Amino acid sequence: MNQSEIRTPKSTIDMARRQMFQRLGMGIGGAALGSLLAKDLIAAPAHKRFVHESPMTPKPSHFPARAKSVIYIHLVGAPSHLDLFNYRPVLQQRNGELCPDEFFKGKQLAFIREQPTLLGTPTDKKFNFSRCGESGIPLSNLLPHLQTVADEMCVIKTLHTDQFNHAPAQMFLLTGFNRFGRPSIGSWATYGLGSENQNLPGFVVMVTGQVLGAGNSAWGSGFLPTVYQGIEFRSQGDPVLFLSNPSGIDSGDRRRIIDSVNVLNKAQLADVGDPEIATRIAQYEMAYRMQTSVPELMDISHEPKHIHEMYGTAPGKTSFANNCLLARRMVERGVRFVQLFDQGWDMHGSVFGSLPKKTAQVDQPIAALIKDLKQRGMLDDTLIVWSAEFGRTPMAQGNNGEGKKTSVGRDHHKEAYSVWMAGGGVKGGHIYGETDDFGYAPVRDAMHVHDFNATIMHLMGMDHERLTFRFQGRDYRLTDVHGVVAEGVMA
Amino acid sequence: MTQIMRCLRNTPLTTLLSATTLSLTMLTVLTPTARAVEPVDFARDIKPLLDAQCMKCHGREKRKGGVLLTYRAAAMTESDLAHKPIVPGDPDASEMIRRLTLQDDDERMPPSKAPLKAEEVDLLRRWIKEGAVWPDDGSHRKHWAYIKPVRPELPAVSDASWCRTPIDRFVLARLDAEKLTPSREEDPAKLLRRVYLDLIGIPPTPEEADAFLADQSPEAYEKVVDRLLASPRYGEKWARQWLDLARYADSNGFQADQIRENWAYRDWVIKAMNADMPFDEFTIDQLAGDLLPDATVDTRVATGFHRLTTCNVEAGVHPEENRTNQVFDRVNTTGTVWLGTTIECCQCHSHKYDPFTQNEYYQLFAYFNNTPLEVKQKAGVTFDFVGPKMALPLPEQQRGKYADLHGKYAALKAKYDAATTQAAADQKRWERDAAEALRHPPKWTTLRPAAFETTGGETYEVLDDGSVLLGGTVPGTTVYTFTAQTSLTNITGFKIETLTDDSLPGKGPGRGDEERSNFVLNEFTVTAATAKTPGKAAPVKLTDPRADYSQPNWDVGGLIDGNGKTGWAIADQFHKPHWATFQTDKPLNADGGETVLTFTLDQNFGRGRVIGRLRLSALTGSGDALGLPKEVATLLMKDDKRSKKEQKVIDDYYAKANPVADKIRSEMEAVKRELDNIEPPTTLVMVEMDKPRETHVMMRGNYLHPGQEVEPGTPATLHPLDPDLPKNRLGFAQWLMSPENPLTARVTVNRWWAAFMSRGIVATQEDFGTQCEPPTHPKLLDWLAVEFIESGWSMKHMHKLIAMSAAYRQSSKVTPELVERDPVNLLYARGPRFRLSAEQIRDSALRVSGLLSEKMYGEPVYPPQPPGIWRQVGRNEPKFNTSTGEDRFRRGVYVIWRRAAPYPSMVNFDAPDRAACVPNRARTNTPLQALTLLNDEAYVEMGLALAARVMQDRAGADTRDKVTYAFRRVLVREPTSFEAEHLAGVYERELAQLKKSPKEAEELIRTVKGYTPPKQLDHVELAAWFRVANVLLNLDETVTKG
Repeated sequence: MNQSEIRTPKSTIDMARRQMFQRLGMGIGGAALGSLLAKDLIAAPAHKRFVHESPMTPKPSHFPARAKSVIYIHLVGAPSHLDLFNYRPVLQQRNGELCPDEFFKGKQLAFIREQPTLLGTPTDKKFNFSRCGESGIPLSNLLPHLQTVADEMCVIKTLHTDQFNHAPAQMFLLTGFNRFGRPSIGSWATYGLGSENQNLPGFVVMVTGQVLGAGNSAWGSGFLPTVYQGIEFRSQGDPVLFLSNPSGIDSGDRRRIIDSVNVLNKAQLADVGDPEIATRIAQYEMAYRMQTSVPELMDISHEPKHIHEMYGTAPGKTSFANNCLLARRMVERGVRFVQLFDQGWDMHGSVFGSLPKKTAQVDQPIAALIKDLKQRGMLDDTLIVWSAEFGRTPMAQGNNGEGKKTSVGRDHHKEAYSVWMAGGGVKGGHIYGETDDFGYAPVRDAMHVHDFNATIMHLMGMDHERLTFRFQGRDYRLTDVHGVVAEGVMA
Repeated sequence: MTQIMRCLRNTPLTTLLSATTLSLTMLTVLTPTARAVEPVDFARDIKPLLDAQCMKCHGREKRKGGVLLTYRAAAMTESDLAHKPIVPGDPDASEMIRRLTLQDDDERMPPSKAPLKAEEVDLLRRWIKEGAVWPDDGSHRKHWAYIKPVRPELPAVSDASWCRTPIDRFVLARLDAEKLTPSREEDPAKLLRRVYLDLIGIPPTPEEADAFLADQSPEAYEKVVDRLLASPRYGEKWARQWLDLARYADSNGFQADQIRENWAYRDWVIKAMNADMPFDEFTIDQLAGDLLPDATVDTRVATGFHRLTTCNVEAGVHPEENRTNQVFDRVNTTGTVWLGTTIECCQCHSHKYDPFTQNEYYQLFAYFNNTPLEVKQKAGVTFDFVGPKMALPLPEQQRGKYADLHGKYAALKAKYDAATTQAAADQKRWERDAAEALRHPPKWTTLRPAAFETTGGETYEVLDDGSVLLGGTVPGTTVYTFTAQTSLTNITGFKIETLTDDSLPGKGPGRGDEERSNFVLNEFTVTAATAKTPGKAAPVKLTDPRADYSQPNWDVGGLIDGNGKTGWAIADQFHKPHWATFQTDKPLNADGGETVLTFTLDQNFGRGRVIGRLRLSALTGSGDALGLPKEVATLLMKDDKRSKKEQKVIDDYYAKANPVADKIRSEMEAVKRELDNIEPPTTLVMVEMDKPRETHVMMRGNYLHPGQEVEPGTPATLHPLDPDLPKNRLGFAQWLMSPENPLTARVTVNRWWAAFMSRGIVATQEDFGTQCEPPTHPKLLDWLAVEFIESGWSMKHMHKLIAMSAAYRQSSKVTPELVERDPVNLLYARGPRFRLSAEQIRDSALRVSGLLSEKMYGEPVYPPQPPGIWRQVGRNEPKFNTSTGEDRFRRGVYVIWRRAAPYPSMVNFDAPDRAACVPNRARTNTPLQALTLLNDEAYVEMGLALAARVMQDRAGADTRDKVTYAFRRVLVREPTSFEAEHLAGVYERELAQLKKSPKEAEELIRTVKGYTPPKQLDHVELAAWFRVANVLLNLDETVTKG
């Protein structure tokens, strides 16, 4: 049973001790060492698994999963969904009129302080919507590449949230709670399902632009064990912190040093018998393997030219496009949950000047990601999510944070906004829910943030009501005491 | 049995992770037979089952179907159903049993959940049959934790001689019951290391170990314990746990996560712990130190505890919502820290499991509701972090200097004010004039020639537009003299235009060539005279030559350089008009009146390269010409509508132009800089508003939906509130520390017990409510709680008791029998063994490498971390400036704690972001921890320092001796011969390898920034010892308390 991985110093361990070591140690050590072995362990009854299992060992889902992995793209700041996904001709026609009282009076708005005017999508061609694919769902011409994969996309028009400031709304969406301290969706997923690859983290995060307001809490593990927190792969310096050896220590040196550490740790294990020592031995092995597997994963220079052209990637560059390609490479290697954050969508002013610049950065690589997964036969079990902490108002905002006049933008909007999913058991070429003519509020199939999270969990094969963790005397879950799975988004 | 059922029914996922749950299961399995014959016990067997399965719907809040299962009388009678839920003595007549056992899904209880196990139903049947005994005398109805602890009798034990403290009687009694025996006492060196790590957070030096091992007196160990309890390192170690609870950090959290100054609070905690401040005082100071009648600086600093909440200052935040969230956090943290109670469940509704109502929650809220808003509108919807701050007193020696500087500053300020007051009137006039000038925008006025002369014999004609058109002979060279008289004032520039005309060859502007209609103007000069004295013409100095186009090598600048050979020409931009402009060095005709201007245009190139049509203009009015910066010019134009801030810009500009005032001002700035250097640091404190806020219940926890008004008050389930106590935080804190409080002492000693022994007597340190893990040693817990109160709330007394106990001093070796019977050491048949905290790992590595600085207190420090961890986060973004010198090597408790990006190597060892109260850190075991200890710059520095120490301290010793010394520095105990041999082998192997590639040694030593090894050490040997040190710092035993 994988004994070749751990060599016990024979000279120091008598027979009895060695037997004990095998009983205690091999379980944990072995489990974390190789995914093959870990998979075998699933078959063992629960009470036998306790001592012998790494927290990242793959675990059975509650019911068959539609999506094995998730690539969750969060557009930080909140894109102007009305100009991308929710075509509102009436809003265009009534552009410039004062908004109805009920849009403003008694509402919580972040920046707007005086009754605003309605703001329609501009009528020039580049902002037009086109009916796309066989399904004919309308998408903005600002997204020419996504228009070609419209038949894979399920656009949800009626997502709504409780929070209207960035950081609390990010936490509310991503952890189900608007204050610090709760686990993020990715950590719930890896807690529930473990990871398919024991040489890489199960939950990886990549960020382009400024870090978001919720900070590391957006991918934190809250009260779950910290092994489930998202590991940020960075684009500058070591992709994983402390991955590189110090100067003057090469890979061969490192191997010898780790071997020596493990020889002494094994002697200690034989002496005091604490199974934690076996785990530590395994973790040093994994650390060493990560020193190879992570750089190999992050090196996109060997991807063929047509792939680079498809994504618009360039090796060595920091870009959202590179992160999309890396996301595919991670999912290929069994990473459970990949989360991409892209900053720069908070357009309180000059929305029509800025939006085309941002869409130009993300449109092609996301469309490429969908096509690439599809051509590899991976789209069916990879769920792609386009999301944001809230939407933007159908009303115009003309002042910036300091009260100065700016060119027109849109304020934060929590009553209804559009996001989409693709792959992973989602109904492609489909629109879920409908809003009023102004896109202000849902009129059919409203989906609360808790419902959205429940649905993502469901697609991953987990019942959001059963995936719980006991803390402070209570069984907590991602969706608090809410959440209804939206059957309508599923294929 | 019920306990087992509950555990097993948990989802497998939970079970896998919750070592606690499972191990309880295993333990309970130890004695399965006893229970079957015992009568059913309501508290032990039935209540937990009802709580878990029924209370959600049949608690006080919902009472579905009218069924209430919270007390006996209700359960026996109340219901909307035809049948009574429970008929004592008759399970078959009890509706409860019928509903639990129905096959039909609609009516079966509990709805939409798995049916109860047969064993559970059986238990309920037996209980009903036995008369449904439901103790209802008040004390039994209460959960154990809400009943004040009384000191239990010490139990009888099999071996009283083993027991060193009363603690051991309880531990051994339980072991006796389980037929287990305690382990032998730990090896002295290992025990010494354990108690050092527990009490002061760092291991002993080999010298300290030697002294202890040599001390044969029976009190040797106790002497060490006393010495450690008195060490200043003690407070630094124990503050960490409290700072997790206090969510202490150096930043605001949220969007921009700016740094804030509240480290004085951290220092206060360290000092309080070192002084063994009684826990009641410690509590009251933190919750209400500002309200004490004899409040001091220190008690106010202590109130920083509740100012450590996060604060959102992102644009568009609603200050009241932010404040409400902060108060929620204060109430909930107080509930967790002092009451071990999940009071936060009552924000939206009354507690599902524990006897707390929503009303009571907001009564607690009322105590904390009287502090001011902490974000303030800066402009529009931009906000700043404000809230009460307090300046800390300066150290004695700085106070005098501070007063001096303040005096000096005040004197300078007076002088400055005098100088500027006098200037104020002048300034007003200047502002008006300048604005007037600015209001007349730059304007070109054509100068018509009063006279025009040429030296080439040409003819000329003055056209309607004021231009002069040349005709007649085309001379080789020529000089035009152009005289104009004008009443324009403040002329600041001139313009020459060379124009085209149909009459010129190739339309001009030159006259010499139809194809190449160039001209070459060599010099351009101007003189000015008043009309009254035209003879007294003075030359005008021209500057800033510009042209729409200059031919290469014939730049327009050549016109005013006094050199007749250079000049301005326009090839190959023929057939087009061109222009050149100049500024005058000072405004002409500033006093008004008529001015006579004479322009001379020398064209000596030859071949008829002369201008064919010419126009001259004068420039008046220009902000630029006044030499004003654009900002000042713009503000001047606003006249009196300037804001204070805008006026200051103008004042500053004007003051700079006032040399006397400017000199005083620069002196003032110098004094100010000195003052800033000794400006007392501040810290965040609680301040009560004069007028208390009204507190309302918030419907579903939403501050926009207030319900009924509530007064401050405490939960009815707990001990009574003395009506004489003030109705404010002080009264609340005093209520909390009443000896009648059933929770605080238990919760506190349990937390310490867990720190020493790995897990709490109540495993759920954060929850002592009905859903908590039952205590493994309930009587021990009560004994400790009472002892704590009666010791005068002494933390050190309790720590000494635990450290002196035989239970604590056992060997931590795990035998196969023990791992089978008690895998997570619930019974203490062996000593504690678990991974150190992030801070202990850092501090220990610093200590063993000899780098640890013992400097205490003050501003946070910045040890090395990888670049880019503190990324852009927006407004007022803080910078990470890595500390140099000893600050680089200070204990973890002093490391800067930024919530959005805490120190990464500590995060990898489960340090939380401290955005919320953390009662119990996780202890994980991950590959990232391996990478941290192997590669983090900080640990590389420590490794190199350790290597150098070994070479220096054991200079001349053999390898084996050095290895032993290094090993003992790190692990205190002697290495086994296998370990020593192995490490010596590592050294020889690495030395041989490095001799082959000495470059690696040089690279290592060159790139380590924070530590420079002594010069005399051989680099190859040093690098080999570094690798040995790297091995030692990465051992499991090194990062473990064993």
